[in-house]
Amino acid sequence: MSPVIAWLQATPLSSLIRESDWLFPAIECLHVIAFVTVVGSISVVDLRLMGLASKSRPIGELVDELLPITWTAFAVAACAGLLLFVSKPVTYTQNFFFLGKMALLVLAAANMGVFHAVVQKAIATAPAQAPPPLIARASGAASLALWIAIVAFGRWIGFTTLG
Amino acid sequence: MQTGVSMLERFAAWLGKTPLSAFVAGQAWVVPTVQTVHILAISVVVAGVVILHLRVLGVIEQGQPIGDLARRFVMPSVAAIGVLLLTGLLMIAGEPDRALFRSVFWIKMSLLAIAMAATALMLRGLRASPAWGDAQAAPPLLYKGLAAGLLVVWAVIMIAGRWIGYAEGWPGSPS
Repeated sequence: MSPVIAWLQATPLSSLIRESDWLFPAIECLHVIAFVTVVGSISVVDLRLMGLASKSRPIGELVDELLPITWTAFAVAACAGLLLFVSKPVTYTQNFFFLGKMALLVLAAANMGVFHAVVQKAIATAPAQAPPPLIARASGAASLALWIAIVAFGRWIGFTTLG
Repeated sequence: MQTGVSMLERFAAWLGKTPLSAFVAGQAWVVPTVQTVHILAISVVVAGVVILHLRVLGVIEQGQPIGDLARRFVMPSVAAIGVLLLTGLLMIAGEPDRALFRSVFWIKMSLLAIAMAATALMLRGLRASPAWGDAQAAPPLLYKGLAAGLLVVWAVIMIAGRWIGYAEGWPGSPS
């Protein structure tokens, strides 16, 4: 076990959340509400990128309207998630689904980086009414698949860290 | 009230003996899978609710008429609520004593019915207003208030749902 993790588990914040009857569930509620907002708003963009929904809307417009909601909700979900992690860092760092979820989040972030660096330029030069370019459809499909997997891994953490 | 509870106890006991209950409770992967589908369906409802209500409040999508957004997001949300009822039923079947004897479950179901009825009324009122087809027209203040209130109600529904797992059952009930 890393000394950092042991130190974190020994902090007053960690024991406060761990030993309270209601803090963990309350933070968990915030985490759930925030991340369903992340997944919901980002999947609207993903389905548009895949050419499956919102086809009358230019992709750039949809991204401008919805990504601020996604990012705000993500910041809340990440802060709440961090507090949940702090309550039981030893358990979580030994949990396959927690580590898997973190790896999937890194992949989702990388996918979003590629979207902003490469895909948005490809979309900007493509005709607005044509089906989205292949790279846009692949980006949307990858994002949707990653977020579904992140939700599944997140739910499995709860079942494998009981007690 | 007492007969209501004993009917509920008989229903829970019957449900617990069905093959559906045995299937959900029998394999370790079923409950987390059902819960994952439940959460993904919540995401669909929340996307529709957040986008539509923030539009009514004038926060996002101000270039889009409300009617256009309603046409895109209402049906997927309704379909997702169908998925939620189905996956919710599966969770209850797997563990009938868990939800049915906790007040927070019935609060959640009542709020869901209220939210759906209020949304239907809001959509009907908005359809009759100029804001339905004209992005420049402001929606009536009443519906802005309703949209803000509904965002809170949906959040409370999600909190109540998560709290089913933490709440105490009624005294003397099987849970």
